[in-house]
Amino acid sequence: MMNEKKIILQVEKLTKRYGDKEVLKDASFSIREGELKILIGPSGGGKSTLLQCINFLVKPNAGRVFLDGREVLYSRKRDLYNYRQKVGMIFQDFNLFDHLTALGNVEIALVRVKKMSRDEARVRASAELDRVGLGDHVEKYPAQLSGGQKQRVSIARALAMDPEVMLLDEPTSALDPELISEVLAVIRDLRSNGMTMIMSTHQISFAGEMADEILFMENGIIVEAGPPKKLFAQAECQRTREFFMKIAEIYGESR
Amino acid sequence: MMESVTAIREALPYLLQGSLVTLGLVAGALGLGLLVGTALAVGQVYGSPWVRRLVFVYVWFFRGVPLLVLLFLFYFGLFTLFRINISAFTASVVVLGLISAAYQSQILRGSILSLPEGQMKAAKALGMSHFESIFFIILPQAFRLSVPGWSNEYSIVLKDTAVSYALGVMEVMARAHFVASRTYEHLPLYFTAGVIFLILTYGGTRALRFLEDRVRIPGYSQR
Repeated sequence: MMNEKKIILQVEKLTKRYGDKEVLKDASFSIREGELKILIGPSGGGKSTLLQCINFLVKPNAGRVFLDGREVLYSRKRDLYNYRQKVGMIFQDFNLFDHLTALGNVEIALVRVKKMSRDEARVRASAELDRVGLGDHVEKYPAQLSGGQKQRVSIARALAMDPEVMLLDEPTSALDPELISEVLAVIRDLRSNGMTMIMSTHQISFAGEMADEILFMENGIIVEAGPPKKLFAQAECQRTREFFMKIAEIYGESR
Repeated sequence: MMESVTAIREALPYLLQGSLVTLGLVAGALGLGLLVGTALAVGQVYGSPWVRRLVFVYVWFFRGVPLLVLLFLFYFGLFTLFRINISAFTASVVVLGLISAAYQSQILRGSILSLPEGQMKAAKALGMSHFESIFFIILPQAFRLSVPGWSNEYSIVLKDTAVSYALGVMEVMARAHFVASRTYEHLPLYFTAGVIFLILTYGGTRALRFLEDRVRIPGYSQR
């Protein structure tokens, strides 16, 4: 059943170098509709670079990306901008537009990029903010929101563009422990509604519970990939096992 | 003493008309400076190395040459050479505006650079082009951060307009000089001119502070 779902995004041998240092080496994987892939690994291991290379916020030195089977020709500006509309991005530190209200943050790309009318955009933006539980906060500015609320606004902002796939770059890492669960709840909700997502995180129990596949990354390489059960119980690579042991110690294995 | 008061009273309407000319110069110069300065700042931050070099030379030139030299260079030199037939008033607006552009570009540039890098990334991730990201996301924030700097720029340009007297523009200073040299009431007339400038500085700064409050966003720091 799973395998009948079509492949949404395919990444082929993405490589990024800064000078001599290869921060991403031949990263390849594909993701099917409705799947959640979780990138796990030590900081500086290339998770964030991989995600940012996927939508070309960081230009890879080599490699290709396919969306719905078509190669993304990112050197053509128009193609790149259209592609990015279909790929939602969530950042660790939210990156809300500080001069706009929550509503304005969600509206602006609808008006400026999707060319919706103001009224249409308003209706859509309000609906998305409702969906992430922020219906009462639409007129607040980012500085008036908590970290968890900011991240939910940024999720609403991405969702409003009707993305085919979402990239989440450590969406809870900048949050107070108490606020993490409200953001994870939204992501869980997206997952059950069939959103295709690639997410990097240190939330190991969330990964174990929700991921279709976990990719373990270190030194710019996808060392090992597999369903959580397999990776947790019998990772093939010694280094993967060590990492999971350590992170389980820190964050606890309890759900 | 009585003569002084009389001299001021008689010259005052004439000087106040001049203050309208002064304000016209300021408005024109700040407006032109804002347009050109914004283009310069964007070019300097986001442009190719070539554009950056060009902006650098522009800023270096207009900040480095004295105002009076620039006024004469443009009005008697360049405009005459290229047979551009414009009034002394327009010439002053152009020169003051081009100078202000150099300073305003540096105010705005500082504001742009102080914005977190993530703002641009988030805009692009939503599918905005480079230009749209700058126009809709970066500049609205950078302009707000720049208001205090502009307040300063306003008073500098206001004071600089007095030099356009050298081209024969009949602003406050030119009129004070004109009356003083005929009535020999130098002290009261230049004193009055000075007071008019003080009032204009104060009024403009207040207006900009009002603007600052109007565009203030909760929790958004303005230095």
